[in-house]
Amino acid sequence: MVNIIKGLYISCDIPMAQFIINMNAALPHSQKFILHVLDDTHLFVRSDMAGSIRDKISEFREQNTYEKPA
Amino acid sequence: MGHGEKGRPSKRHKAKEDHRAEEEEVYYTEDFEDINQDGENKRDFTKLELKPDHANRPLWACADGRIFLETFSPLYKQAYDFLIAIAEPVCRPESMHEYNLTPHSLYAAVSVGLETETVISVLNKLSKTKLPKEMIDFIHASTANYGKVKLVLKKNRYFVESPFPEVLKKLLKDEVISRSRIASEGNDGFTISKSLGEIEGRHEELLNEAQLAAAAEEKEAHAFEVDPAQVENVKQRCLPNALNYPMLEEYDFRNDTVNPDLDMELKPQAQPRPYQEKSLSKMFGNGRARSGIIVLPCGAGKSLVGVSAASRIKKSCLCLATNAVSVDQWAFQFKLWSTIRDDQICRFTSDSKERFRGNAGVVVTTYNMVAFGGKRSEESEKIIEEIRNREWGLLLMDEVHVVPAHMFRKVISITKSHCKLGLTATLVREDERITDLNFLIGPKLYEANWLDLVKGGFIANVQCAEVWCPMTKEFFAEYLRKENSKKKQALYVMNPNKFRACEFLIRFHEEQRRDKIIVFADNLFALIEYAKKLKKPMIYGATSHVERTKILEAFKTSRDVNTVFLSKVGDNSIDIPEANVIIQISSHAGSRRQEAQRLGRILRAKGRLQDRMAGGKEEYNAFFYSLVSTDTQEMYYSTKRQQFLIDQGYSFKVITGLPPPDTGAELSYYSLDEQNKLLTKVLTAGDDQVGLEILDEDTDDVALQKARRSMGSMSYMSGANGKIYMEYNTGRNKGQMRSKPKDPTKRHQLFKKRFV
Amino acid sequence: MPEVRIIAKNFMDMVASLPATKLDNLYHNAFICEAILRSLPPLAKKYVLQMLYIIEPIVTTSMEAWVAAEGMSKHRVAIDKLVQLRLFTETVDRKRETTYRLNPTFQKNLQNHILHGGVLPREPMKINVRLPSSADLDAYASGQWESFLLHLISSTEAEATRNISSSMMKIFQRGLLSQRDREAPMLTESGFQFLLMDTNAQLWYVIREYITHCEERGVDTSDLISFLLELSFHVSGEAYNMNTLSHSQGSIVKDLADLGLVKLQQGMKESWFIPTKLAINLSISLSDASSRKQGYVVVETNFRLYAYTTSKLHCEILRLFARIEYQLPNLIVGAITKENLYKAFQNGITSDQIICFLQQNAHPRVAEKVPSVPENVTDQIRLWESDLNRVEMTPSHLYDEFPSRDAFEAACDFAREYGGLLWEDSVKMRVIVKAETYDHMKRFLRQK
Repeated sequence: MVNIIKGLYISCDIPMAQFIINMNAALPHSQKFILHVLDDTHLFVRSDMAGSIRDKISEFREQNTYEKPA
Repeated sequence: MGHGEKGRPSKRHKAKEDHRAEEEEVYYTEDFEDINQDGENKRDFTKLELKPDHANRPLWACADGRIFLETFSPLYKQAYDFLIAIAEPVCRPESMHEYNLTPHSLYAAVSVGLETETVISVLNKLSKTKLPKEMIDFIHASTANYGKVKLVLKKNRYFVESPFPEVLKKLLKDEVISRSRIASEGNDGFTISKSLGEIEGRHEELLNEAQLAAAAEEKEAHAFEVDPAQVENVKQRCLPNALNYPMLEEYDFRNDTVNPDLDMELKPQAQPRPYQEKSLSKMFGNGRARSGIIVLPCGAGKSLVGVSAASRIKKSCLCLATNAVSVDQWAFQFKLWSTIRDDQICRFTSDSKERFRGNAGVVVTTYNMVAFGGKRSEESEKIIEEIRNREWGLLLMDEVHVVPAHMFRKVISITKSHCKLGLTATLVREDERITDLNFLIGPKLYEANWLDLVKGGFIANVQCAEVWCPMTKEFFAEYLRKENSKKKQALYVMNPNKFRACEFLIRFHEEQRRDKIIVFADNLFALIEYAKKLKKPMIYGATSHVERTKILEAFKTSRDVNTVFLSKVGDNSIDIPEANVIIQISSHAGSRRQEAQRLGRILRAKGRLQDRMAGGKEEYNAFFYSLVSTDTQEMYYSTKRQQFLIDQGYSFKVITGLPPPDTGAELSYYSLDEQNKLLTKVLTAGDDQVGLEILDEDTDDVALQKARRSMGSMSYMSGANGKIYMEYNTGRNKGQMRSKPKDPTKRHQLFKKRFV
Repeated sequence: MPEVRIIAKNFMDMVASLPATKLDNLYHNAFICEAILRSLPPLAKKYVLQMLYIIEPIVTTSMEAWVAAEGMSKHRVAIDKLVQLRLFTETVDRKRETTYRLNPTFQKNLQNHILHGGVLPREPMKINVRLPSSADLDAYASGQWESFLLHLISSTEAEATRNISSSMMKIFQRGLLSQRDREAPMLTESGFQFLLMDTNAQLWYVIREYITHCEERGVDTSDLISFLLELSFHVSGEAYNMNTLSHSQGSIVKDLADLGLVKLQQGMKESWFIPTKLAINLSISLSDASSRKQGYVVVETNFRLYAYTTSKLHCEILRLFARIEYQLPNLIVGAITKENLYKAFQNGITSDQIICFLQQNAHPRVAEKVPSVPENVTDQIRLWESDLNRVEMTPSHLYDEFPSRDAFEAACDFAREYGGLLWEDSVKMRVIVKAETYDHMKRFLRQK
């Protein structure tokens, strides 16, 4: 019987893939969300992770961006 | 922004009870609407009345002190000169400038002789709208006390002078001041003399006759004498945080018969440029020499201004520089521009202990040499004694925003001088004691506009660019790991893609344009790795003097040595000959001064003037590249650092896609194997090894170490002439390069041919 | 984020979609003929004029012979347009050849028009009262239009427009604003994009909605269209007596006054309307997308924005992507910040739209420069946008443990056919398919 798993297919660039992998690595085993690393730029992860991945990326991006205050 | 913030008025709801007794606490009571929508701080001044001929007037003045200036107005030049004298520039790009009126800037205005009413009336004339009442009140309030009291050194006696006897009386009520007073033959009254009023020629057409007449009138000055030993104390008591009558210092050198003259003139071929003239006119406006600070971009000719000032005063001059090489340069400049004879000028450094002959002369030395508190050699001790005892006509201080404040105080307290002139390229300090400077030396006398100088062909037109280098997968993976937090900088600096970009740029500029290139790296590990790998000469702290000289000589003269790698030493202790390309591979914790200074290395305009004007073949002949690893902290620092230059009107192009995707093994670190070897090297090096270089003799290190908390310095400059790169800026990124393009057509737009 | 463009349907498309008889009716009006002629692409115009005095049908192949090889695509576009508008009738003749002929009604009326000039159904009035100057009229038109727009995007902002009923306003707002219960209406993606469009495009959008709505109310569309196009041939600044209008035309004119197309005035005995430049531009701008208004925005290399305007509308528009800092009597000062841009992107506005807006509205001082908006600013706006799009996530399912390679490949093909294939790994025999294709996949697999 063909096995079917629900998940989120992620397509991105190399640094973002690394970022998500690192994010996954930092979590305790029970919370890890990467189901498969397909290649350098594609991942298959748990389907409920869309929001938190975007949030973390956004946070990371904020840290690396300087915005001149008003 | 350091200097603007303190004086920035904030809005209070007529809260007089909230009054703080700190300096410069002049606040507006607000009468203007402050509409907050979406939490935005919006200031609504739409109710201001536009004058019928507003199109002919160049500026808007807002009640909160903000002034906007149209650069394309026919009155731009006069308006700029006026505004730079009364306000602090916020940003000065091509079409519209912004300034802030602060108590501080008004103090500077008054110091160069502008009176309160003049300021208001000229501002009003230039303004498109009727001046807001708040601004008029603010100007009155701020200038109420400034400029009312002068400290004058006449015939070796110090006088506290003022046209307002009631002010003098007020001062004398203070204990410190009254104790310092020397009464003249038991007479308790004030001596009275006449002094020439100001004529601000520049604003003639803007003042009416009555005002002109008033300006030209001779004014009566009342004065009392103070003990020379107490002068510092008197000055301190007058500061805004005490009595709030900060004293202007002016040196009546023409009537100084006590101190011996120094016969030096500017040589006829020393033709000061318009902005150099302007700055000098601010200093010598009323026939006396004012103390203060002149701000000119690097490469714009500060030395000529210094030498000119000395040549006008014609008294002994003590010139202070930041390091020995600079001392040599200053001595050279003195001899180049003036008729001073060799025996009238001498250098005092650890290597040279010269003395001048005769009664008067110029001594060039370093801050360190004078402020040094330890034991000296006998010879040094003698020279220091002489410096201490002499009455200097001019204390010429280079790079005032470099030197730590405490060193300043020391130098100023050790030496007795009539007039102090500070020279600098930026009004930005690491230890944020800018206001101290203004009272120790004097207010800002003049600040040149970078873009205007570029337009006039006086400094090079630099193309600035930020080259984005994506991290390789392996380097980025390590960068993200918590365990490597101390190695973060090393990782983003040693990013192989950054290396390749650097190598590409060096090759390009060497081979295609035969340029001279300086590569700066604060990070010693990186410096050594890069230089060794690319087989280029390098100079850092430990490089011997002999070696340095050899390398620099070769850089200057040899056709084969076109690139040199420099660590922080390149900022201070080296006489860098002309280069026109700078590549910064790491400098995140560098001081802001350092940035401007680095830019100055290539700001010296080269080639013929007409070639440098718009459309000429040398229109962009200087390039400043900042190589940044994307998705790392380096991006943050880079942007922050750029703010200074952006405010001067420079813009940074972002360049992605260097080196071109089709370059392979012709640049280093192409193979994964090579990259991994490099990665291992970085990860296994000790944490201390991969950090910044610390130099012993760097006078700025003290400030820097304290300032390490406030990271993020000013601009880098990066430059790339898109025109040159057009043939390379094509194609998509593959493999290790930056993001897979989501929409290929969008990516292409970044690479399209750029029009210069 | 997929690009959503507001469908600024060409007005002429609407005309073309009229039923045949109605369209033919339109061509009885010489002014309509002229307006339509103006709106055609250049090659189509040329063909019309060439065919103007030719009665016999022309074989298509001989028409094609006029065209050079590289112009064939333009030729097809032109012919398509002409056929769509029923200006060209296409027939297969006895010789089984396809021919074209110019629409006879159109032909006759255009011929007359060219020879004798057109006579409007009404003449300007001779009036003793001083009429508004053209500057006044322009100001009136801009003011009305702006006020209408402000009302359109936010019912709290502007004073209510007088004539256009609130139901009418709701029609216009349809698609531009979204209303959730108990919440204030908010701009939709289309709404944001609408704001950044240039005036003529906005105008036509509104007119189109107006016509559609009138249609629903039983007003004859072709009457309305013909009146509007006719209006554009009146003389701006001249007064035309209201009594020359039919009843329905009269009420249309009153609505148009709210948009700023005409100004209504009342005398002692008579009342009249005065067309403004907005009305006159109606036919000019049918094909011409460019805006003729003066720009007012200066963008500096340090991302600061200076807009020479006091218009509340402009302020609202700028606020879409910039932080507004100062408002002076004739200047708005702001800064284009990443934060504001991100908000704009999240609202569905693209970097292209913003950049286009800035370029099209560049102040004359900087409009001459190449580029009119500093390159580092436009580059940065695009870079920030692409930064948001770096990670694409698609809900999906992973299928593996196939009984055989054939089964695996069949599944891949199936998924591919449905456009749901995201990833296939033939070594591990794994395939990832979009979630939306899941039902099909399940059914497919069950069959096996």
